[in-house]
Amino acid sequence: MEQKVICGIEGVGIYGVISILICFTFFTGTFLWVICLKKNYLKHMEALPLDGSEKNSTDKNQPTKL
Amino acid sequence: MNVETFKYDNRIVRAFAIATVVWGIVGMLVGLLAAVQLFFPDANLNLQFITFGRIRPLHTNAVIFAFVGNGMFMGIYYSLQRLCKARMFSDFISWFHFWGWQSIIVSAALTLPLGFTTSKEYAELEWPIKIAIAVVWVAFTVNLIGTILKRREKHMYVAIWFYLATALTVAVLHVTNSMTMPAGWFKSYSMYAGVQDALVQWWYGHNAVAFFLTTPYLGLMYYFLPKAANRPVFSYRLSIIHFWGLIFLYIWAGPHHLLYTALPDWAQSLGMVFSLMLIAPSWGGMLNGLLTLRGVWDKVRQDPVLKFMVVAVTAYGMATLEGPVMAIKTVNSLSHYTDWTVAHAHSGALGWNGFLTFSMLYFLFPRLYKTQLWSTKLANYHFWIGLLGIMFYIIPIYVAGITEGLMWKQFNKDGFLQYPNFLETIVQIVPMLRLRAIGGTLYLVGVFMMAYNLYRTAKAGEFEPDTEVQAAPMEKTVSAGAHGKLSWHRMLEGKPMLFTVLAVVAILIGGIVEIIPMYLVRENVPTIASVHPYTPLEVLGRDIYIREGCLGCHSQMIRPFRSETERYGEYSKAGEFVYDHPFLWGSERKGPDLAREGGRYPDAWHYNHMDDPRSTSPGSIMPRYPWLLTQKMEMDSLPWRLSALRRVGVPYPAGYENGPAQKDLQAQAEKIVANLKLGSVNAEPDKDIVALIAYLQRLGTDIKNAPVTTAAK
Repeated sequence: MEQKVICGIEGVGIYGVISILICFTFFTGTFLWVICLKKNYLKHMEALPLDGSEKNSTDKNQPTKL
Repeated sequence: MNVETFKYDNRIVRAFAIATVVWGIVGMLVGLLAAVQLFFPDANLNLQFITFGRIRPLHTNAVIFAFVGNGMFMGIYYSLQRLCKARMFSDFISWFHFWGWQSIIVSAALTLPLGFTTSKEYAELEWPIKIAIAVVWVAFTVNLIGTILKRREKHMYVAIWFYLATALTVAVLHVTNSMTMPAGWFKSYSMYAGVQDALVQWWYGHNAVAFFLTTPYLGLMYYFLPKAANRPVFSYRLSIIHFWGLIFLYIWAGPHHLLYTALPDWAQSLGMVFSLMLIAPSWGGMLNGLLTLRGVWDKVRQDPVLKFMVVAVTAYGMATLEGPVMAIKTVNSLSHYTDWTVAHAHSGALGWNGFLTFSMLYFLFPRLYKTQLWSTKLANYHFWIGLLGIMFYIIPIYVAGITEGLMWKQFNKDGFLQYPNFLETIVQIVPMLRLRAIGGTLYLVGVFMMAYNLYRTAKAGEFEPDTEVQAAPMEKTVSAGAHGKLSWHRMLEGKPMLFTVLAVVAILIGGIVEIIPMYLVRENVPTIASVHPYTPLEVLGRDIYIREGCLGCHSQMIRPFRSETERYGEYSKAGEFVYDHPFLWGSERKGPDLAREGGRYPDAWHYNHMDDPRSTSPGSIMPRYPWLLTQKMEMDSLPWRLSALRRVGVPYPAGYENGPAQKDLQAQAEKIVANLKLGSVNAEPDKDIVALIAYLQRLGTDIKNAPVTTAAK
């Protein structure tokens, strides 16, 4: 029954092909994109969470007594 | 250099942190109660409000939207301000968001036990609350985007991308899946029916996991893990691929929840293939998290924050490998409807979401209160008892799930079902259900230990409501000079609105490619001439079925396997559900499938079974429903219900609800009462049980060859 339902959709086969093409293009594009990123930029981005503008004495998480 | 002084808002972070702990305890307690009822049904104390069917959605909503939801907001409000070097866009919106979200949780905690539910998993709340969710979510999104726009840091760190994708995708999912027609203040019917409703629901349901439980927490991982380890993320390049790969692929995978159902095969295969592809970005992200700790594993041994994080990220990796494996059709044919799914969900929820939330709480409290954690030792105990709890929870449930699946499919040498009585398969797993409750208890004990530790930490320190910091304002134009030639990527994440649009496009592609064919299918679902709308009495009965949460344990979807057709009858067809607003296929079997229940037993059997399941089925774990025998059915709301159903496409004649429907209802009820008398049961025709029997006796009878009556057999 399901086969008949699907076959009833005009040109349904194209959906599978489109899906694969979209995926392939998407991942190739993303891969090329990240390859081309500059090292300085990556270093800057990686350091963002570690920005030390806030001073806090608890950063070392020293064990305390129970 | 021009430097601005400003303050981070810590009050809102603390508010969400406290809410996380409180709702976490509530949600897990409710879960424990539900778990106990599965082997000791009388634990509901014969109260309808705390019976399994009603508290299961309360548990899932509480842990997802209250515990993880508040945990997500806690982490986002803390990290976003620091990553943007800006206070939140609006304090008013922050507090509107906080109190709005808590009000929604309280309304869920009140309405779900009262039986006000749409029945759609993780979207059970009725339409007024759905509207409130949309309003509060928009407020959160405005606050998020507003903060990003006023940021002092030129670049948007990858965590912010995950937050943005979360805000936008959840909005799209929530609106699409919430299309309902109200039939009173706390009752509505889904605009979609049957197969379409199932696809939209699981497109939503799967992506609620993806974009509520995963993407925001990945953003938090990318912030808090490097922060706690004091090391930059292993590979920022990998985090970019992780982000775009994940948000692009996740949205396609919803149909894997409906394999071998009446959903078209094409959509099922799509769901399976994309689920398998998801392994790549998910594992990329997991490895990125774990490899961030390279060189600092000695710290992991001492610091409970990192300990919790390591297990959380590992659980993420395990769950995202297992999920795609379960989406393979052959594996799914065994795992679906069994406790395997519950084990999978809990390895993600307890390990990934739970442990990451705990790590954030242990990280944040000492910082918010300018002190050290009151007891690292106690936090370490929490870690071990929590880990033990996870093991005791999931291992028995994996065993239970696989046992169930195999027993359902087992044939003897003569070609008959080895275990034809469904109850045999349940009795077999009861010991595992008991062990699971022990695991849940251990996990909860750990949470109480954490709550005490955090309370003592807060008492020992002094809360800092605002953290004063200084930073230079952002340059108005994106300079190409600092890092060499301006790349397309840098330009993109320098423009948050463009970035937002592209992220939405990425998630919409999958949704559109999936859902448009389903609308075409709508025109092509073969109409089965004998399938007709439910009678008024059956509509009320169906609504009682929804109210009591029967679909928490009973599916209504016979898959095309011999083991299922032998046990339950003819497999389910798409055309049988065209009047099902909403669909009630279910996702778990703690009782047998009911798709062909109609005519299987006499009316009196159902009456006695609902009064005390163990009187008809010794050893059953189903709760008693004595209140159905005494409560009057909601006749007054019948016109609202029928006219709402007509509006969503059920062909009741105009004016049917004003007189003729009531007459038909009365006649059918009298007939059932007469049948019950034949079974020595005296019942009144206006009671809930009569409507429920009418509905149960209707199930699956439309396509049976011979007309089936509800007469006592």
